[in-house]
Amino acid sequence: MILPLKGNAMQTTLRQFASIAMTLFLTLWSVITAQGYSFNQIVPDVRQPGGVSGGSACPVPSHHLTSAAAIAFRWSTVLGTNPKTILTQNQTASDSLNEIEQVIQQSLSVWSSVSGTALTSASIAPLVRNSAANLCGSDGINSICFDQPDMAFTPGVLAFTRVIAADQIGIRLGSGPPSTQVGQILDADIYFNPSDSLVSFSTPAALAANPKSYDLESILTHELGHALGFSHSAVWSAMMFPFAPAPGTYTGMRPTAQQPDAPLSDDDRTGLRVLYHDPTDTQFIGSIQGRILPANPLSLPASPPGVTGVFGAHVVAVDAASGAVIVGILGGWSCQAPGPAQFDGTYQIGALAVNHTYKIYAEPLNGAVGPSEVSNALASLCRNAITDPGWPPLQSCVVPQPNLEFTTATRSSP
Amino acid sequence: MSYKDRRRLLWILFLIGLGLIAVVAQATTLVRLHFQDLVHYSYSIARVRCMHADVRVENGEIWTDTSVRVLSHNKGYLPEEIVVRQPGGKFQHLHSHVDGAPEFRPGEEVYLFLSAHSGGQFLIVGWAQGTFRIHRDLRSGGEAVTQDSVETLVFDPASNSFTKAGIRNLSIDAFEQRLHREIQRESE
Repeated sequence: MILPLKGNAMQTTLRQFASIAMTLFLTLWSVITAQGYSFNQIVPDVRQPGGVSGGSACPVPSHHLTSAAAIAFRWSTVLGTNPKTILTQNQTASDSLNEIEQVIQQSLSVWSSVSGTALTSASIAPLVRNSAANLCGSDGINSICFDQPDMAFTPGVLAFTRVIAADQIGIRLGSGPPSTQVGQILDADIYFNPSDSLVSFSTPAALAANPKSYDLESILTHELGHALGFSHSAVWSAMMFPFAPAPGTYTGMRPTAQQPDAPLSDDDRTGLRVLYHDPTDTQFIGSIQGRILPANPLSLPASPPGVTGVFGAHVVAVDAASGAVIVGILGGWSCQAPGPAQFDGTYQIGALAVNHTYKIYAEPLNGAVGPSEVSNALASLCRNAITDPGWPPLQSCVVPQPNLEFTTATRSSP
Repeated sequence: MSYKDRRRLLWILFLIGLGLIAVVAQATTLVRLHFQDLVHYSYSIARVRCMHADVRVENGEIWTDTSVRVLSHNKGYLPEEIVVRQPGGKFQHLHSHVDGAPEFRPGEEVYLFLSAHSGGQFLIVGWAQGTFRIHRDLRSGGEAVTQDSVETLVFDPASNSFTKAGIRNLSIDAFEQRLHREIQRESE
């Protein structure tokens, strides 16, 4: 349901339906805040001195550093032969490897070409080949593996990304450098299923000839999104939508020299701008904040205590002029130092282009994407004494169940 | 909503529908498994209650081992208590995330489609696809199950409507019957 928003500081009232309805207060803010997107969150370890933990239990999105060549990937040239899982147009060994490498370069470039972010092509170190088998592992080096068995593969698992982030400064993993920021990603490894005879991946050049295979570029670009810190998105057109294109097809458009980030949607771009904020950017500095509140406060869950708003709503910003979905976020919480997260129904949508008008709507996460597909983004908002012995009670919290029952309806704006 | 707004909304919905023709229900990390595939690939299928989770490091990777009590099993033999392993978890100051791997809360009851592993732990077939959470249906008051990976809406040009695969809010009795039918069909 779309709620009209045609100005600043507008309040839109909604009528009650079933047990829960909600009231949405919308205010245009000029300050960028980085909350609510579907990112993998890390709660800093506040049991440690403030100098290394930051002293706040507010969740921090996991992220890479963006200084020159800070993000380095290597890939294993070991490819499966029985079954052959990576299909290329070129058949000679060296040409085949070149074709795969081109896909990896292209997929990295898709993310580093987005305007208005601190993540640029300069942040990406030259891609490195490695002929070792079993290259992926918790060694502090980001790796892509096409033929590495892993216990996590069961029937039906195509590919996955293991992302390891630190909850304080000074944490080292393998041969990597120690973390200099809380939430810093120390290792991100992408695994493609190497052993399922029914699953294969084709480079774009080989896809048409292998219509039963999956598009390597689409799946790799999605997995790289995880490697950069994204969880899943509930926006249908997004690269980070949890469902892949059917075999023989690909997500969005192919990248071109003119538009190297063409496979991404506005939702992916906006998320990247929030995650890797560019302080010099002047275009994407708009922000909308509000709260999602039930018409009847008694409908809020009694457990865990302290829930004062609807949690886990999918809040979407639509460009009023074009009708394009610009971004969707997971709303329902806020946090101010020293934390913890408060489940007060707050949402904040940042990195919006200025001089645009947006319509905002909210919906429960009970449609195409459910809470389980974004469980990392939801479950990682809190730490408490049960899961973390010795955790200070004043900075502990329990994540409530996402509210899937509310229904919204519109009334004309004043 | 004005006529112009309504028309724009209908256009958006129509274009989304067209887009969905090309999108079948396959998770990015997962390939779609039909219910009969899940049954076929499972060593065991059981209703379990999650008790507690331990994080372990094995072969240099972080894993979460969830101890579960087996309340009943529909396929295969299981001891009273088993360990279900998932990739990822929090170990010391390292947080390992694998999107798509289900997480469980203590006390939660679920149906799990399990494959055995030589290490003694069990893995969930198709991750979210082999996880069916049990909850109380608000309308009937009875227990119902919902698959973690309730499939995406798919536009069906024949009926000009959106359809859903996957299991959502199915009563326990109906779920058990369906499970029983599939297991019987497989054994025939």
